[in-house]
Amino acid sequence: MMVDEVCLSEALLAGAIEVFETMIFMDIRESTAQGQEASRESSSQDGAEQHPKGNTFLGSITFTGDMEGCLGICCSVPCARAIAQNMLGMAQTDELGEAEITDAIGEVANMVMGSFKSRVQKRAGNLNVSIPTVVKGRSLDASVGDASRTVINVNIADEYAAELSLLYRQEKKREN
Amino acid sequence: MAKSIMIVDDSATMRKIIMKTVRAAELDIGETSEAGNGAEALEKLKASAVDIMLCDINMPEMTGPELVKKVRGLPSCAKTKIIMVSTETAQGIVDDVLASGANGYITKPFTPEKFKEKLTPLLN
Repeated sequence: MMVDEVCLSEALLAGAIEVFETMIFMDIRESTAQGQEASRESSSQDGAEQHPKGNTFLGSITFTGDMEGCLGICCSVPCARAIAQNMLGMAQTDELGEAEITDAIGEVANMVMGSFKSRVQKRAGNLNVSIPTVVKGRSLDASVGDASRTVINVNIADEYAAELSLLYRQEKKREN
Repeated sequence: MAKSIMIVDDSATMRKIIMKTVRAAELDIGETSEAGNGAEALEKLKASAVDIMLCDINMPEMTGPELVKKVRGLPSCAKTKIIMVSTETAQGIVDDVLASGANGYITKPFTPEKFKEKLTPLLN
């Protein structure tokens, strides 16, 4: 069964909300800032970021099966640190190494994938999920050949911008 | 009597989160230990069996179900209760891990209440 983009977008956002509410204890919502598609580096009027800037962490996890692709979450270094601190129940002043932040972002990608998968598996069929990978750098972007791409700009804790992305290609039924 | 518990997950962050969540569940937990992969878990279990093992499914080198089968082959761990903790929700995968010898299954994301619900019957 083919799954439409709206269904996948909704499942991606709902999955992220569940993970952030249950495990990270941070508010996450879709960004509603005007003109964000045209200006990826601009800031919103209320002082919160609209898009992750500078050095970012990109946590991604690939999947194969009836649909194949890659789910990613990209956020700035301060955002990634805040996520890791919240996950571990640490204070903002507590020291946190880059390895711990990397590990935490990988787990976020893993859990969002799990939550997304549980929401779409009835319609999208079986998905086999990889182990997450995390990279740090500037202008990071995931790519999967000719896959369709869904991006949701989100705001975390009314302070940080982040990007949820889903690259996917639906397996075409083979003709015998 | 307080039960000993081992957490097996390749993510150090997730091991800490699980430990934090188990403690928040206010269960009667005594000695705790961790392992970052299946081989390390087996080595520790051979030295000292635990009452409860919480184990990830998707781990490099040795998967959770592979580890469960090996633990079930250890006579000293015959009474060890094994709970899988994973993002996997497909019924086929859940059935497979239970068939491999696990006693229960907790899906991520999880809450202290979910741990309490699954672990309390095993602690009594």
